[in-house]
Amino acid sequence: MTRALVIYCHPRNDSFTAAIRDTVLSELSKVKAEVRITDLYAENFSPAMSEDEHIHYESGRNDHVETHATNIAWADTLIFVYPTWWYGPPAMLKGWLDRTLLPGLAFHLPDEQHKRIRPGLRHINRLGVFTTCGASRALTFLVGAPGKRILMRGLGFLCAPRRRTAFAAHYLMDSSTQESRKRHLAKVARKMERLLS
Amino acid sequence: MTQAFVLFAHPCEESFGAALHNAVLETTTNRGWAVDDCDLYAEGFNPVLSAEERRTYHDTDKNTLPVASYVERLCRADTLIMVHPVWNFGYPAILKGFLDRVFLPGVSFHLKEGQVIPALDNIRRFVVITTYGATRFKAFLAGDPPRRIATRMLRATFRPQKLKYLALYDMNNATQVQRENFLKETSRVLEVI
Repeated sequence: MTRALVIYCHPRNDSFTAAIRDTVLSELSKVKAEVRITDLYAENFSPAMSEDEHIHYESGRNDHVETHATNIAWADTLIFVYPTWWYGPPAMLKGWLDRTLLPGLAFHLPDEQHKRIRPGLRHINRLGVFTTCGASRALTFLVGAPGKRILMRGLGFLCAPRRRTAFAAHYLMDSSTQESRKRHLAKVARKMERLLS
Repeated sequence: MTQAFVLFAHPCEESFGAALHNAVLETTTNRGWAVDDCDLYAEGFNPVLSAEERRTYHDTDKNTLPVASYVERLCRADTLIMVHPVWNFGYPAILKGFLDRVFLPGVSFHLKEGQVIPALDNIRRFVVITTYGATRFKAFLAGDPPRRIATRMLRATFRPQKLKYLALYDMNNATQVQRENFLKETSRVLEVI
């Protein structure tokens, strides 16, 4: 059975991003997936890695973020739902990556046998990213779509090599219409269905 | 007099990042610049944009109130120097949050008929000093997001006369000599820019 960890990040519960999350959850329930939801704002997650965490970063300790680490180890599917701010994930979500993708769990640091960083999330075989952007698609790609690359590539490198992926963004959010938002939710549902098939 | 604003993001004072930070402060002060050192961790900067801030985001009369001092410091500078590590192919959250919360409509850009017009043209020199765990090649494969943020997005925001992006890759395998050379390179660049 699919075990999906949904990472949701938006300060307001009446946002379009919340509607995207609900679409994702409804697709997950259609395939009877086991779901764990991390609502970063609701749990008041602290995104700044502390000095103590940095000192023990390489030690394999995860007591600061134990529940998150357990969820990541448990899941075979990771799904991110968030708005894109300044071409990247909100600080809240960036901090979740900083603090929970620890060596020993998400990747393995170089040692005497291995000169390079090695992936640690080979059990994640599905990765979904659903976001909204104020910028246009053209401008986002001109800048190099940093947010998409942090998750689809940076995090993707750590996951199973033959993973399935899904990505959808609603661009030009500030001039979105009822119609464009509806179309986008349908697209999210389609992409989710394919991701889970 | 040159007004430099140094944005530093690293939690540990014994880190190589802190050594770079010290080199930046020393070199710029020696040049006789007025240096405003913003150590985000030491100042306890809160990187989380709140629900209330999201609601007033586009209201240029109110949106700067929660971060007024940071806006003021950023707008006073003609030189911006960012010193930070790259984590997971991005900025540390505390620095990402500075963009989220301080680079507001009316501060760093104006929205006019859906068009974004850059507004921080007081920044004439923009320097980034950073370190990566990844190799340059791996970062390239990932699309090097932090480099693109700096050299494309922030460049378009400031339109600086001079921009320098100094990066030391593959930190986990960096030798003492490589680190020392990078420190020297940092000082050298800041002496001439």
